[in-house]
Amino acid sequence: MSWEMVIGLEVHLQLGTRSKMFCGCPTTFGNPPNTNVCPVCLGLPGTLPVPNESAVRLGTRAALALGCTVHRRSRFARKHYFYPDLPKGYQITQYDRPLATGGAVVIDSPERGAIEIPIDRLHLEEDAGKSLHDRLPGKTLVDLNRAGVPLAEIVSAPVLRSPAEARAYLTALKQLLTWIEVSECSMEKGSLRVDANISLRPLGAARLGTRTEIKNLNSFSNVERALVAESARQQAILDGGGAVTQVSLTFNADTGQVRAMREKEASRDYRYFPDPDLPPLLLDEAWVAACRAELPELPAARRARLISEFGLSPYDAGVVNGERRVADYFEAVVGAGADPKTAANWVSGEAMIGFNATGTFAVSAAQLAQLIGMVRDGVVSHQAARQVYAELGPAAGEPRQVAERLGLLQIRDTVALERWVTEVLGAHPAEVERFRGGETKLLGFFTGQVMKRSQGQADPQRIQPILVAKLRGE
Amino acid sequence: MSVSAEAVLRLAQLAELAVADAELPALTAQLDRIVTFVAQLATVPNPSEHAAGPPEPAPVALRPDVVRPAGLARDISAFAPEVVDGFFVVPRLGAMDGS
Amino acid sequence: MTAVTAARATGQALERAEAAGLNATLAWSNTALEAEAARVDSMPVPGPLHRLPVAIKDNICTAEQPTTCGSKLLEGYHSPYSATVVDRLRAAGAMVACKTNLDEFGMGSSTEHSAFGRVKHPLAPERVPGGSSGGSAVLVAVGAVPMALGSDTGGSVRQPAAFCGVVGVKPTYGRVSRYGLVAFGSSLDCVSVFGKTVSDAESLLWAVAGHDWRDATSVDRPIPDRAPARTTLEGVTIGVPVEYFPADLDAGIGAGCQAVIARMRELGARVVQVLLPHTRYAVPTYYIVAPAEAASNLARFDGGRYGARRGPHADIAALYQGTRGHGFGAEVRRRILTGTYVLSAGYAEAYYVKAQSVRARIAADFTAVFAGGVDCLFTPTTPTPAFAAGDKIQDPVAMYLADIFVCPASLAGIPALSLPIGRTKGLPIGGQLMAPMFEEASMLGIAKLLERSLDGSAEVVR
Ligand SMILES: [Mg+2]
Ligand SMILES: [Zn+2]
Repeated sequence: MSWEMVIGLEVHLQLGTRSKMFCGCPTTFGNPPNTNVCPVCLGLPGTLPVPNESAVRLGTRAALALGCTVHRRSRFARKHYFYPDLPKGYQITQYDRPLATGGAVVIDSPERGAIEIPIDRLHLEEDAGKSLHDRLPGKTLVDLNRAGVPLAEIVSAPVLRSPAEARAYLTALKQLLTWIEVSECSMEKGSLRVDANISLRPLGAARLGTRTEIKNLNSFSNVERALVAESARQQAILDGGGAVTQVSLTFNADTGQVRAMREKEASRDYRYFPDPDLPPLLLDEAWVAACRAELPELPAARRARLISEFGLSPYDAGVVNGERRVADYFEAVVGAGADPKTAANWVSGEAMIGFNATGTFAVSAAQLAQLIGMVRDGVVSHQAARQVYAELGPAAGEPRQVAERLGLLQIRDTVALERWVTEVLGAHPAEVERFRGGETKLLGFFTGQVMKRSQGQADPQRIQPILVAKLRGE
Repeated sequence: MSVSAEAVLRLAQLAELAVADAELPALTAQLDRIVTFVAQLATVPNPSEHAAGPPEPAPVALRPDVVRPAGLARDISAFAPEVVDGFFVVPRLGAMDGS
Repeated sequence: MTAVTAARATGQALERAEAAGLNATLAWSNTALEAEAARVDSMPVPGPLHRLPVAIKDNICTAEQPTTCGSKLLEGYHSPYSATVVDRLRAAGAMVACKTNLDEFGMGSSTEHSAFGRVKHPLAPERVPGGSSGGSAVLVAVGAVPMALGSDTGGSVRQPAAFCGVVGVKPTYGRVSRYGLVAFGSSLDCVSVFGKTVSDAESLLWAVAGHDWRDATSVDRPIPDRAPARTTLEGVTIGVPVEYFPADLDAGIGAGCQAVIARMRELGARVVQVLLPHTRYAVPTYYIVAPAEAASNLARFDGGRYGARRGPHADIAALYQGTRGHGFGAEVRRRILTGTYVLSAGYAEAYYVKAQSVRARIAADFTAVFAGGVDCLFTPTTPTPAFAAGDKIQDPVAMYLADIFVCPASLAGIPALSLPIGRTKGLPIGGQLMAPMFEEASMLGIAKLLERSLDGSAEVVR
């Protein structure tokens, strides 16, 4: 039988606030254990939560960027379970009245092309702490620095059809969330975490199969690998006539295997109820409208504009639009007079290498535009321009000065070029004969020889007409 | 009987409370009495659609996003029975463990 | 007199209370009292509670003393911070006198459910002082302190005030910060006050009241002026709800209340009978809402942090179950199990959600009566005077019904108070006033006049 995968993803996103969700502790990463803690986030008796305005604003911003409906009224609830890194014995989260519902992300599915993935909901919650199980034998160590850090949980509709599609969804989501600057989105630092639900059903069937949940996946490629492994496991069960049981799984990246987590049977009864310490969260329309107005042009719209306004290919537009600052840089280079297509090549090539390494563009948009203009005008070769680019920087001076200093300006003086051509033809009489006998591909050989004799400074665009004229005996 | 001994044990699991065998019958009887007592609310008719609800509570006031660490007054080790290298220490997870 | 003299006198009074075996005090020391005295004496401007010793129920956090909540589980726990109300009363010039004994985590109506032993009634040691704030009520009743802090979740200040013959005032929910009050039923919990007189209670209430950003449920409203001394009740409409005078009401209490009603008429009040038809559902509603919130609030006591670990703990489940199973007393465990039951899958709709809707109807009953022109309601505080220790300990529901007249105001969030209106067979009777939201000042004004017009310690004539 053919099976269809049904995949839904839950993404936990750390919102980029300075202080925690319900207390004034810092959210900084990597501090010594239990140093970013206070009576509130330790859950000490008598303490109460007070929500962070920035967390609500960033969550709203994310919801608006995802096209969600932001609800005027939402509320916080308590989700109960016992775990050593959950100080209060409950997590404050939003349950029956989430901050936002609806919405969608457009993804580039490897199988289905550009498709819209609906978002079911986005809600605010607090993070738990961290448990370390392998530091002391027989013991669990608990660090509550992360307890109370603000999160947005983003739940996709279960409409993804393959592990690769799941990855494409995450790529698009991360691009969007980074773009609007609501989160660092770093899986290494735990500011973006993924749980994946998957079930299989006979192709064409409407009813969903029993799903399993793979918890805490720590990279996009592991999401993909874990879903491949789990779909194979479920398929083997179903093909063998068995039934999938609903379990939570962990993925071991070393072995590529999923494994059931041991859970207490009762632990799924979370006994949610509205948190009596927190009155409803009411957002007035003007406030939400202001959040909406502050949003930058979003990636999908901008990519479309890069294609229509600058004539970029969809591929180039995608590369340039990968990050908002890259697209901003590209537009600045074009704005400074560069040809868009050439600018796109530079931005996605040389400039991107430096940006990926350092997070900044060392060469100003104006300088790059000048350099592109110099290549266009034949002042430097493309090859030479790359050398000039490597030298450019805030203190390096203008591109033209740099090219001059490096001796990279192209020689376009006809007298000099004619002299080199004459010398080359004189030195290779046999080849001249063969060319004249019809072996025209030797033109490249002569051009190379002229470049060599000029020590690379001749402008190749201008050599060829001179060569052709002399070879034809004109 | 609306509450059985099995139900009490299940609730005790959920609430992480040890219940000794010897106390189970009396505890079951007490909980049954309490649950039966509170179950009389079932006889209160549900309010009609257009009945005026309670006034909406004042919305929650938000806190500005300012780092303002409140001290603990004492070393972290004063807040847990067992602390090693700044970590709180609890026994291995056993039934809750992933491994 | 300096604060040091006042502190010594308080220390001696607390020693006498201890010697009498009342078991009302928990942590206190003469050294700490003297430090409080020195602090108060060095204050540049005397505050409204200058040099007054205040006893504090031990579910209110203090940085200087341990905070046990009357539980073995928190034995030895030192809060790193003081509750907002403690900071405020100290800033007002009061001295923290002692922590007081209570039903564990505030759960009980007799102060028999303390891990540190039961508190005795000041007039009849074989009887209970009411609860859960029994220790605070007793210390005010014996005059060891003029005023004390308690907490009233479903009557835990008004009911012991009635049993002990003192004044107990529960403000509007949100009027006083809960930051530092160890949570029991968060949507019901009110830090509340005891006073030997209405005026004492009023002084303490307004010293600790007011908005606190640390408590998102605290209300940002100005603190009213102290109630002016009334001489009549002309123009005042007092509502008397029939549901609070059932056939089985203690005869002495019934007679005491009728005498007060007659006196109010003499003072010029218009007294009208009113209906609060959902009153009979208040106790069952309360015993769904409060345990649900309690089970949640007490989940943090798991042996992982603060407080003592109990029992063997080979693995985490054993640690949790042992610590909680042995650390909590019988009543707390019953409430946790009840609360877990009413919130659990398959039952939440029928119990927790239903209780929320009935709670709204109970509140609506009050709203309707007040909208109909009633300024204040008058009722008995309790259906019986102080009962004998051990009487209700085996029957939790009988104990719950001791709060039948006090828990409706808690569910509605409205202010209410109990004041002594006489005695029956030597035991104090409390009369309860209930007012609309934020109308504490007018309620206190009426109470002051009644206090002057009645002999709260006289045997009622039947
Ligand atoms: Mg979540
Ligand atoms: Zn904190």
